[in-house]
Amino acid sequence: MFRLFEETGFTGVRSVVVPRFRFRKLATQNAAEAYGVKAVLFTATRPATA
Amino acid sequence: MTDPVTAQASLEAVLKDEIIRLYQDVADNPRGEYHFFHGREAAELFGYDPAWLDRAPAGALACFAGVGNPHLRSAIQPGETVLDLGSGAGLDAIIASWSAGPSGKVIAVDLNPSMCVKAQAHAAASGARLDCHPGRMEAIPVPDASVDIVISNGVINLSFRKRQVIEELFRVLKPGGRCSIADIVSAKPLSPSIVNDPKLWAS
Repeated sequence: MFRLFEETGFTGVRSVVVPRFRFRKLATQNAAEAYGVKAVLFTATRPATA
Repeated sequence: MTDPVTAQASLEAVLKDEIIRLYQDVADNPRGEYHFFHGREAAELFGYDPAWLDRAPAGALACFAGVGNPHLRSAIQPGETVLDLGSGAGLDAIIASWSAGPSGKVIAVDLNPSMCVKAQAHAAASGARLDCHPGRMEAIPVPDASVDIVISNGVINLSFRKRQVIEELFRVLKPGGRCSIADIVSAKPLSPSIVNDPKLWAS
């Protein structure tokens, strides 16, 4: 998604992992970790001239 | 044999139904157990201000199913127009309305019309001003360059057309506008068994 923001024309794209995100069920959490699934907070700006 | 375009459209239609079913179930059965955290427990996990949670309508809080806290970096100012994309029962939109104040405006958009009704009711009960529109994130029912900030929480990952969603965010933001989006990402491509299973994708 970071790349999608940049390719769309957003600037100042930032991402930070949501530190305490996890799934409630252990099996789901284990499957998510196998895929590198995480929650991320993205911020981005539409340029003032766009 | 079904052509790929028709198959994709069919899968997206099933996914839409599954998303509505799952999150409607959370709204109707907030005491239910799901594979994700929800309600106050989730909001506290993600660092929502306890004072907000005490002030929020109980129904909006009980249905909360976000994956993070977009308010941490939203810096919403009084008088701003805010769009909450995928607003659910309205918790994030209501919190945003407190920051935008009486001179601001909060527009909520949700795929499920009945969730819009809930969000409006929760907002009215708390004195918050909120306009909720049923609609898809791939075609946001908001005019071009009309909002100062978009917030969203755990929604864009549900779309098969993420590029289109991001382009829609760009379209509706005013020049200089910004977004604060909490969402789920995957470092590896998901297997076809997940991608082609609407229940797993919606989850």
